[in-house]
Amino acid sequence: MAPPPPQSNRSPSPSQPSGKSEVSDLKLQLRQLAGSRAPGTDDSKRDLFKKVISNMTIGIDVSSLFGEMVMCSATSDIVLKKMCYLYVGNYAKVNPDLALLTINFLQRDCKDQDPMIRGLALRSLCSLRVANLVEYLVGPLGSGLKDNNSYVRTVAVIGVLKLYHISATTCIDADFPETLKHLMLNDQDTQVVANCLSALQEIWTLESTTSEEAARERENLHSKPYVYYFLNRIKEFSEWAQCLVMELVAKYIPSDNSEIFDIMNLLEDRLQHANGAVVLATTKVFLHLTLSMADVHQQVYERIKAPLLTQVSSGSPEQSYAILSHLHLLVMRAPYIFSSDYKHFYCQYNEPSYVKKLKLEMLTAVANESNTYEIVTELCEYAANVDIPIARESIRAVGKIALQQYDVNAIVDRLLQFLEMEKDYVTSEALVLVKDLLRKYPQWSQDCIAVVGNISSNNVQEPKAKAALIWMLGEYSQDMHDAPYVLESLVENWDEEHSAEVRLHLLTAVMKCFFKRPPETQKALGAALAAGLADFHQDVHDRALFYYRLLQYNVSVAESVVNPPKQAVSVFADTQSSEVKDRIFDEFNSLSVVYQKPSYMFTDKEHRGTLEFSDELGNLSINAETGDSVVPAQRVEENDKDLLLSTTEKDDVRDPGSNGSAYNAPSYNGSAPSATSQPLADLAFSSTGATGQAPAPGLAIDDLLGLDFSVGTATTPSPPPLTLNPKAVLDPGTFQQKWRQLPISLSEEYSLSPLGIASLVTPNALLRHMQSHSIQCIASGGQSPNFKFFFFAQKAEEASIYLVECIINTSSAKSQIKIKADDQSSSQAFSTLFQSALSKFGLP
Amino acid sequence: MLQCIFLLSDSGEVILEKQLTGHRVDRSICNWFWDHTNSQPNSYKVVIIIIIITFSLSSIIIFDFSVLCLQQQPVIASPTHYLFQVCREGITFLACTQVEMPPLMAIEFLCRVADVINGYLGGLNEDSIKDNFVIVYELLDEMIDNGFPLTTEPNILQEMIAPPNIVSKVLSVVTGNSSNVSDTLPGSTASCVPWRTADPKYANNEVYVDLVEQMDATINRDGVLVKCEINGEVQVNSHITGLPDLTLSFANPSILDDVRFHPCVRFRPWESNQILSFVPPDGQFKLMNYRVRKLKSTPIYVKPQLTSDGGICRLNVMVGMRNDPGKTVDSVNVQFQLPPCILSADLTSTHGTVNILSNKTCTWSIGRIPKDKAPSMSGTLVLETGLERLHVFPTFQVDFRIMGVALSGLQIDKLDLKTVPYRFYKGFRALTRAGEFEVRS
Repeated sequence: MAPPPPQSNRSPSPSQPSGKSEVSDLKLQLRQLAGSRAPGTDDSKRDLFKKVISNMTIGIDVSSLFGEMVMCSATSDIVLKKMCYLYVGNYAKVNPDLALLTINFLQRDCKDQDPMIRGLALRSLCSLRVANLVEYLVGPLGSGLKDNNSYVRTVAVIGVLKLYHISATTCIDADFPETLKHLMLNDQDTQVVANCLSALQEIWTLESTTSEEAARERENLHSKPYVYYFLNRIKEFSEWAQCLVMELVAKYIPSDNSEIFDIMNLLEDRLQHANGAVVLATTKVFLHLTLSMADVHQQVYERIKAPLLTQVSSGSPEQSYAILSHLHLLVMRAPYIFSSDYKHFYCQYNEPSYVKKLKLEMLTAVANESNTYEIVTELCEYAANVDIPIARESIRAVGKIALQQYDVNAIVDRLLQFLEMEKDYVTSEALVLVKDLLRKYPQWSQDCIAVVGNISSNNVQEPKAKAALIWMLGEYSQDMHDAPYVLESLVENWDEEHSAEVRLHLLTAVMKCFFKRPPETQKALGAALAAGLADFHQDVHDRALFYYRLLQYNVSVAESVVNPPKQAVSVFADTQSSEVKDRIFDEFNSLSVVYQKPSYMFTDKEHRGTLEFSDELGNLSINAETGDSVVPAQRVEENDKDLLLSTTEKDDVRDPGSNGSAYNAPSYNGSAPSATSQPLADLAFSSTGATGQAPAPGLAIDDLLGLDFSVGTATTPSPPPLTLNPKAVLDPGTFQQKWRQLPISLSEEYSLSPLGIASLVTPNALLRHMQSHSIQCIASGGQSPNFKFFFFAQKAEEASIYLVECIINTSSAKSQIKIKADDQSSSQAFSTLFQSALSKFGLP
Repeated sequence: MLQCIFLLSDSGEVILEKQLTGHRVDRSICNWFWDHTNSQPNSYKVVIIIIIITFSLSSIIIFDFSVLCLQQQPVIASPTHYLFQVCREGITFLACTQVEMPPLMAIEFLCRVADVINGYLGGLNEDSIKDNFVIVYELLDEMIDNGFPLTTEPNILQEMIAPPNIVSKVLSVVTGNSSNVSDTLPGSTASCVPWRTADPKYANNEVYVDLVEQMDATINRDGVLVKCEINGEVQVNSHITGLPDLTLSFANPSILDDVRFHPCVRFRPWESNQILSFVPPDGQFKLMNYRVRKLKSTPIYVKPQLTSDGGICRLNVMVGMRNDPGKTVDSVNVQFQLPPCILSADLTSTHGTVNILSNKTCTWSIGRIPKDKAPSMSGTLVLETGLERLHVFPTFQVDFRIMGVALSGLQIDKLDLKTVPYRFYKGFRALTRAGEFEVRS
């Protein structure tokens, strides 16, 4: 039985798979080789193994070869062994019975003379991860932990952790944690010690929920003797292990100041380490140790500055990104530390845009009286950059600096220059900024208006910029000669304006202009109100109607509502609360810093759930909503709501004295539905009649007011006697199956009430609402304006299930609904029920 | 704790997958990552269709060209995992985790993996990884266990797993033994100097110290030097028998603004006397990095001038020596990206060649700057119809190399060997290159 010559077997690159036939071919060849002891067998085996593994790597299922691979594993060639270990480790989990075959040769290898083979075999043995084989693990692991070669011990320690994850009881029963503890405190080799530390941390953390002793042991790790033991050996540890130790030290609470200084002295040279991870871990220790000592804390900032800046400029872009995220956090806490080093944050042409973006944020954050001029000069150069997103960001950065009140004079000049650059995106960004500036510094209006007046509204396309321009036209119409005429031409093109935001602003601006220059604006106002009343967008329609009624009632009252005297904005709302910032700081050197939000926001199931969204049912996320996790969600939701309102109400001048409540006060021209809907109460009927609206918005208004017996209800059938089981249960698997099997019995489109839309900031709000109507959600996702939900409900006292796919678009206030039902005949009744539940969403 | 590492090719194909913990990460995460990457506005596909350009040689290029610019953030949250990614030469190293961990640690580790694989295979590309995937698997096996990094020191790894070099290939053919795993474990895993092989022996003992500096400079529109600093490295190649203890001192260490050291450097002597005292790893390694800020001048100047009117832009770029560093400046190269609104370009130079690629990258290779006359490049750019003047200005990236000079002025004073009584040969060299040297117009 001669093996095929290796040359003919060797393909130029083992990467071309040919699928099924090749697998069976390989199987045949492996069988032939299995018993062979002829010289050269190893070479041909190696080629075959290589092919098998390359197939495995590409993703072809070669698990059918398991038996043959194990048969061929009897060899002394270490590369063959390694490939075999790799293969076995990959497929043992799906082939638990056949995995038993490998135990024998792995156990034999665990007693090999060569420590390398002992280590490798032990590692593979522990990586099999087959639950019913754990009994074979205890013996080799025990002797591995006592092995006289440190390499084997290192592997064995991690092996214990792997064993713990397969079967915690076996691991505890064999008393391995105690052995690891002994090793950790006594072993010569620091890699063994480090592995013990990481393994024990994990085991004790998981055990501590059930065992008090483990919890105590875990606490002990942060006690003085342990921390000092690790600190004294820190220089012997590998760089990665040093990071681990630093994490431990950061949690340690020293008893007095001299201890703090001792630790810092000991660790100071770690700041000079070539590995950025070590530097950052040390930084964390320093910052946390000195939190209680304000003056030393400042000195620490000075000390860590240079090493971190070096990391930024000398590392790869990916490293710079991670470091810059951390610097950004630091600079928020202590803006002055980098104020003289601002040049480090100048963008380089070749840098990836994610680094540039962070650098721009840094430049904004470090700007102060002394360096503003130079920073703004630099930022202005980026405005002419080829990279348009960065050019935009840099203009925004200039605006942010201007709002920080440093050297506003020069900056306003720069911004006005941008307006004259004749680049559409530059003009757009600059317009938005000028608007914000004017809200804060009304004294600059003369200069700005002169320039803004020269901009043709036809050249401004972006909704945000257009809205800003229109706002200025309205606000300063007395100073801009042709304001009424510009507005008039904009109103003429009402139908071509796609953005509701712009139309809303246009309505308000025409109103303001009217109060200042009535004769010139009257025609435009009439046209705008007519167009607004006929508008299909609910907000625009409502606002137009509101203005119309106000004007009818009393013009001077209308003026005091629409155009009251304003105070300049002193501070724009910060998007992050200081509490959140502190929490992020506590989690320094973790993902929280990169995401710029504390870990609970992205590790909690609740928050993650909202992220998860997939078109495919196969990847449906399960909406695990438990009672206790609702609380933080609501809080965040409320935060989000604040954000939402603050953006839609940009026009309003927030009185610095009144906190938050100003949002809902219907005194200004706010777009919040609550402000506009109330005065409509007595007008609902006439409005639908007078403007000839389609029934849909009319219906929404009726629902909004809870007037179930109004004209609008004629389109809604009275609720049928269908009741739902409030505690329906369905597992995702069944849902998927049913969804595939059942035909769509009903597909409809509803309108949503504006209040509902306003409440639909996150999918979770709707879920809770629907739950109260006995309609359960199984998966949800999406971000504004598009949300998608899968609901189900069960008929009371019957097994009949209804499945619903509901897609909501908040900008058009429409929801598309597909219903599938076991009992097709009742699906219409269910649809009505669903619709009425949905229409009540958002009502108090 | 990392759970899985994937290597992806530039077309998003999985080249290699290494599961690290019991939790198996499904491959579908790579598809998610790839879709996510491609959906980002920043990672745009630049497809430039046909441009006709004439340049000094008056030839015409008609070209269809597309490049995928990967500009993905290094840390991303996917619905199921947190992903870290590092991209090198088109290969994406993707690591997944579900638990909180220091992001820089993951990124640093991936960078090391990339470096080590690069060193082993002599370059990163899809084919070399596929041809040597067994070695890559072996390396990953030794570098990380159960998601926690172990050893990433290339010297140590080379003792455990022999690199696939030509010598070992020839050997394997001759002897028939083609195992690339060394028979013994590295002795240093047990020694107290973990970066050094236990007991190397050399017939000729020698140490080479190289100062390699990179000058990063930004010159703004008005010709003002906005920023100029030097990032330097001290590279050492040591071949000494036994356990040598070296000390290296500089004549002017005070000019250094910040330093980073290889783990072998002892911190105290540096802190007190600015002396580098260390037991070197065997072979080539990076002893320290340093940074020198606030340099006052650059060795060469580049002066671009752009004037545009009536849809035509005149471009003129002058390059010359500013402060003669005493050694020749060579490999001078000026590169810039023509703004998208430019339809065609006609550029000629008095020295060197001008080359315009179809993706509107323009390269002017000058080589050595002649002593007598400063080279210049000039010509006209035709703007898009309807555009009167140019509003987006190119940034000129300058490349040069000066052998034998460290522009920061750092000088090595002396290198001494303690503890080992051998005589040994010492060699010093210096080199300065342009790093991010850019001139705005």
